[in-house]
Amino acid sequence: MPCLAIKNVSKAFGGLKAIDNASFSIEAGELVGLIGPNGSGKTTLLNILSGHLSCDSGSVELDGKPITGLRPEVLARHGVLRMFQLTRSFPRMSAFDNLMVTGCALGLSQSDAEKRAMKLLEDLSLTRIMGLDAGQLSGGQMKLLEFGSCFMVPPRIALLDEPFAAVHPTLKEIMSGFIRSRHAEGQTFIVVSHDMPVVVELCPRSVCMNAGRVIADETTRKVLSDKVVIEAYLGGAAA
Amino acid sequence: MAATQPTNTRLKVEFAVSLVLLAVVAALPAVVTNAYWQGVIIVSMYFAMLSIAWNLLAGDTGQFSLAPATFGMLGAYTTGLLSYYYGTGAAIGVPAAVIVSGGIGLLLGRIVLRLRGPYLALTTLSFAEIMRLVISNSIDFTRGDLGLNVPGIFQGRLPYYYLFVIVLLATQIGLFYLLRSRAGLFLRAIRDDEIAAASRGVRIVYWKTFAFTLSAAISGLAGALYGHFAQFVSPELGLISQTGIVISMVVIGGLGTMVGPLAGALLVYVASEFLRDSGNWQLVIFSLLVIVFARFFRQGLWGILLSAFNRKPARPAAPATATE
Repeated sequence: MPCLAIKNVSKAFGGLKAIDNASFSIEAGELVGLIGPNGSGKTTLLNILSGHLSCDSGSVELDGKPITGLRPEVLARHGVLRMFQLTRSFPRMSAFDNLMVTGCALGLSQSDAEKRAMKLLEDLSLTRIMGLDAGQLSGGQMKLLEFGSCFMVPPRIALLDEPFAAVHPTLKEIMSGFIRSRHAEGQTFIVVSHDMPVVVELCPRSVCMNAGRVIADETTRKVLSDKVVIEAYLGGAAA
Repeated sequence: MAATQPTNTRLKVEFAVSLVLLAVVAALPAVVTNAYWQGVIIVSMYFAMLSIAWNLLAGDTGQFSLAPATFGMLGAYTTGLLSYYYGTGAAIGVPAAVIVSGGIGLLLGRIVLRLRGPYLALTTLSFAEIMRLVISNSIDFTRGDLGLNVPGIFQGRLPYYYLFVIVLLATQIGLFYLLRSRAGLFLRAIRDDEIAAASRGVRIVYWKTFAFTLSAAISGLAGALYGHFAQFVSPELGLISQTGIVISMVVIGGLGTMVGPLAGALLVYVASEFLRDSGNWQLVIFSLLVIVFARFFRQGLWGILLSAFNRKPARPAAPATATE
């Protein structure tokens, strides 16, 4: 049984088909890259998977159980944790408290949450700034903090939307190192990214979307050399 | 644990300062022996409770309601009507007021759950006006604008004075423990970013309803105590201008802090007594103050005090380290 199964999901905004009959599934412990040109429906799909949008048709299953249409907070409790493309944090709360919110909301006791938050801050090299309000952090640090809060309680699946965009190389290295080590421990991921070198390096498998459809689902190297994918990225004339 | 320092220190400092402030208020009757001025301070404590309740909703949870005075009025009318029809005293009327206003707060909270910003403000504003009009027009039931006489609890001013001090103290202690618990984390998370809070597993519906209910219950308690103190309740308690005063108190004192609402209410109300002779000018002055504070001093008087304190000249440590 796959960890996450996306079955014939469609979503339209007015006349625009943002997701067009998309299907693929992810086994537990997989680290899958979700790629595609801008506007191909990647974020819309993540919004549906994390409960921020409902789909028009199709279904999503987590460990064989339908989760379509559940609210974000319910999905988070089922272990679907998500990082946003445009960073979302609690700007008037300390970095430490930002992590505590997730820990406590997901059912940890306050002392357990404190321990995990300290460990995460250390792993992500954020200990120094843990007392600062999230609103005072740099864009990269804020992203790292949001990234970290997905792992306060090991999620069933982590959905990361552009974690590396506009992030300093050092922070990017911290994040990808963290993803690698968690993946080695069996953590399941979907990573949306335009940063192809990182996708190639991190993700054994990739799903490519274009105009709402899944156009390739293979090992990352094969996907990137796929003619249809190249065409989608560079436009018809380049092929 | 040391790790919780940043937020908890902030909260502890605010709590400690608010206790000092209450201690000063408790000591005031030694100097302020005039019954009229003691009454003024009692009314300012009533406003302090409304301000604290509104701050829990607007400052800590980010829900900008325009109905704090309405819940005060509902609490006052609960005990007022109970005593009018059944002859009950404060022992029944006050707890009943807490339950009734809390219950109505819960219902309102459920209704406005999905509304944000101006939509939430406008809906609570219309709720406030509807409630006031219903009470003032249900002449057969509430005696309308004639108001209701409510039995007092004590003889003389001072017992009321200390009753308000004790209730304020209990409210601050309760809120302190609430805000430093996980509930406080969730409320502030909702205030800062509701979508982020939901995606991290915070039960938005539950905690927003909780904040609405608790805020309404505190306001209702304040209103009921005020009713017994004034021995009279009328629909004027729920006037939108009363809510305006509460908001100005919190904004001037410091929104989202434990000191702000308390200090703001005491200062603004006492100041308004001095401005009473100027008639409606006091409204103009407070409105201007709110605009100035909202524009230039977001943290209110408490924020100004904190930054003045932090700007104290640092110890001349530089030469010492240079010689090392």
